[in-house]
Amino acid sequence: MAEPSWVLAIAAKDLRQEVRSKAVTVATLFFSAIVLFILAFSLGPGEAFLRNAAPGVLWVALAFAGVISAAQSYQSELEENALEQLLLYPIPRAVIFLGKLLANWLFMSALGLLILPVTAVLFNTGLGQAWWWLLAVILLGTLGFSLIATFYAALTANLRARESLLPVLMFPVVIPVLLAAVRATGEIVRLGDLAVAQDWLKLLLGFALVYLVICTAIFHFVVEE
Amino acid sequence: MGAVVVGVLAVELYSLARRYGRNYVLKEINLTVSAGKTVILRGDNGAGKTTLLRVLSTRLKPSRGGGKVYGYDLVRQADEVRQRVIYLPVFGGHYPMMSALENLQLAARLSQQRVAGAELETQLEQVGLLDVRHKLVRTFSSGMKKRLMLARLRLSQARLWLLDEPYTALDEQGQGLVDELLLSAKAQGKTVMMASHELKRAEALADSILAVAQGRLSHYRQREAVYG
Repeated sequence: MAEPSWVLAIAAKDLRQEVRSKAVTVATLFFSAIVLFILAFSLGPGEAFLRNAAPGVLWVALAFAGVISAAQSYQSELEENALEQLLLYPIPRAVIFLGKLLANWLFMSALGLLILPVTAVLFNTGLGQAWWWLLAVILLGTLGFSLIATFYAALTANLRARESLLPVLMFPVVIPVLLAAVRATGEIVRLGDLAVAQDWLKLLLGFALVYLVICTAIFHFVVEE
Repeated sequence: MGAVVVGVLAVELYSLARRYGRNYVLKEINLTVSAGKTVILRGDNGAGKTTLLRVLSTRLKPSRGGGKVYGYDLVRQADEVRQRVIYLPVFGGHYPMMSALENLQLAARLSQQRVAGAELETQLEQVGLLDVRHKLVRTFSSGMKKRLMLARLRLSQARLWLLDEPYTALDEQGQGLVDELLLSAKAQGKTVMMASHELKRAEALADSILAVAQGRLSHYRQREAVYG
């Protein structure tokens, strides 16, 4: 059996559990909605100001929801000591990382695609004529974010103060991804220069590739005891 | 000292120690187990039985010394060791939001075994879980979860079984299932290392009983071909 099937099996396992428990879905949707409503209410009603703030607010909501999602993906492994068993299967450690990354990325991308139109409505801004580029920003931005979040969630999974340590450790590393995602989103939404947006997208792709190689290569150090 | 060993060695440990922080749970463990033997580990709570099994499973690295499983180094060849070992903890190891059948399917796939759905159902039937195979594991009692672990054990092709208190939480019939599994393991030439307080049940099946105390091993009772 090829390795991609193990990655898919682990991702499917995480997503199947989430579909049934809805623990992360409810928490992240509720949290994202609260962030969007409060900030739209406090920043409004000036149209230009709302339009400028929209990309930042979108990614703030996504970032905090992503932290919740990544932390919970390991919490479910700890509940019945399943992580211990997962680490004893004769599969490379990288497979476990890639499986959990895939599940987190799919979840965060879906969340991003869901709250994108809500943000557009609340902040009185269109999606721009090149709205399909926004999809690329969401996919690449959430990929870079999920890479870091999945890695650091594993690092802190067995620590007592994991809930507080996870954002403290990961946000300094993930800031370049968030800044690039905010700038690319802004250029597209504000009908700015699409070439500039594409430059930011290339940077997002670069971040994702670098983080993918590094995190996959050193993941086994994180989970060994 | 100077033991003559004939045949394949399943386990070799030399001067193995493991510590948590500054506390050494295992100190100077030297052990050789021939393939096909059943070894029981007995000892008080906290004596180091589980730690020893976890080191053998590759989940924990030795702090000092080392060891081999079927000739493969516990640290440098951990992937090869994991292909030959199954470790069943006292509790856990499954996903509560998945059904018994889904848990078993996942275990088979990640153990790199091609198993048909009918075979999985047969294993669940053998441990008395066929009727609840589609129910989520979170609805299971401790004994049912333990039976699910036994189904995984039945399915496994591992040559070394590491069992931590396999009788715990099981009713009389369930404990009989463990006895049957141990007998079939012996018949198939598999090696079993098992931590257990159920000495009366286990000793009839054991080739040797080792006592673990204060991080060291000593013979409690021995029949044959286990050298320490």
